[in-house]
Amino acid sequence: MLAYRLPRTPSTPRITLWRKLRRLGVAQIVDCVVALPATADTREQLEWLAEDVVEAGGEATIWLAEPTTSAEHRRLAAAMTERIDAEYRAITSEAQSTVGRPATERRRTLARLRRELRRVATRQHFPADQAQVARDAVEGLADAAASEAAA
Amino acid sequence: MIWATRRHVHIDRTACAWLLRRFVDPAAEFVFVDDPDEVPADATPFDMRGAELGHRDGRCSFESILIRYQIDDPALERIGQLVHEADIADERYDSPEAPGIDAILRGLTLTAGGDQQLIDQTAPLYDALYSLWSRTG
Repeated sequence: MLAYRLPRTPSTPRITLWRKLRRLGVAQIVDCVVALPATADTREQLEWLAEDVVEAGGEATIWLAEPTTSAEHRRLAAAMTERIDAEYRAITSEAQSTVGRPATERRRTLARLRRELRRVATRQHFPADQAQVARDAVEGLADAAASEAAA
Repeated sequence: MIWATRRHVHIDRTACAWLLRRFVDPAAEFVFVDDPDEVPADATPFDMRGAELGHRDGRCSFESILIRYQIDDPALERIGQLVHEADIADERYDSPEAPGIDAILRGLTLTAGGDQQLIDQTAPLYDALYSLWSRTG
C-alpha cells in the first residue's frame, strides 16, 4: 500500500503519477492511498513511485497492509476485477465490430488490440472472466484473415 | 568493489550486475539485502530506493549506470531500452524483445538457486544481445 501527498502545483508530477498508478492497476482505497496485492514485484513498483513522489517535493510511505475483514478484501478484489473486465469488454466489442471491415483495417486493428491485451494483462491482478473472451475475439480477427488468405 | 542491491533480482538488477561486471568493475562482487539499512558501509547500492544508481527521472537503473559511468555504446543503449521496457513498460521505447526476455527471466527465477546464480545464468543472455546488437546496430 502506498500513502502519498503531492503538492497541488505543478500538476505534471500529479498527472504522471496518476498515469503510472493506472498502468499498475492499483486499488484506490481513498484519496492518495492506493494498494496492490503484495508481491516482490508490486512492492518494488510502489517503492519507485514513492521515490518519484519524494523527488517531486511530496511525501510517500509504503505499508504492508491488510483489511481486517475478508468481506472488505473481497470487495477490493471485486472492484479491481470489475474494472479490468470492463477494459476487456471494450476490446471484445471493438474486435467484434471490426470483423466485417476491409482486410487492411482488420490487420491494423488486430495488431493494436493484441498490444492492448498485453497492456491490460500486466495490470490484471486477479482472475478475470472477460480475459479469455477478449483474447478469443481478437484472435478471431487473425483466424478470419488466415482463412481468407487460404481461400 | 562490492555492489549491493535488493534480494529477488529480476531484469533490471540482473542486467545492472552484468553491466557493472563487464564495463565498470571486472572484479565486482554482489551482496543482496532485504532492507537498505543492511547495505555494507563499503558497498555501492544499485537499483534501490534513494541510490544514485536507481530509477531517476523516468530512467531505469541500467540507464542510470550508463549515464553515471559515461558509457557511450549504442548496443548497450539498446539493451537499456529493452531493460526499461521490461521493467517499467511505459512504452517510451519500442523493444519487441522486452516481453520475451521478461518471460525468460521469470522462468529462470523459478529454477535458479538464488540471486547470485540468477546473475550468473543471465550473463550469457546479455552477452548474446550485446554481440548481436554490436553487429547489427
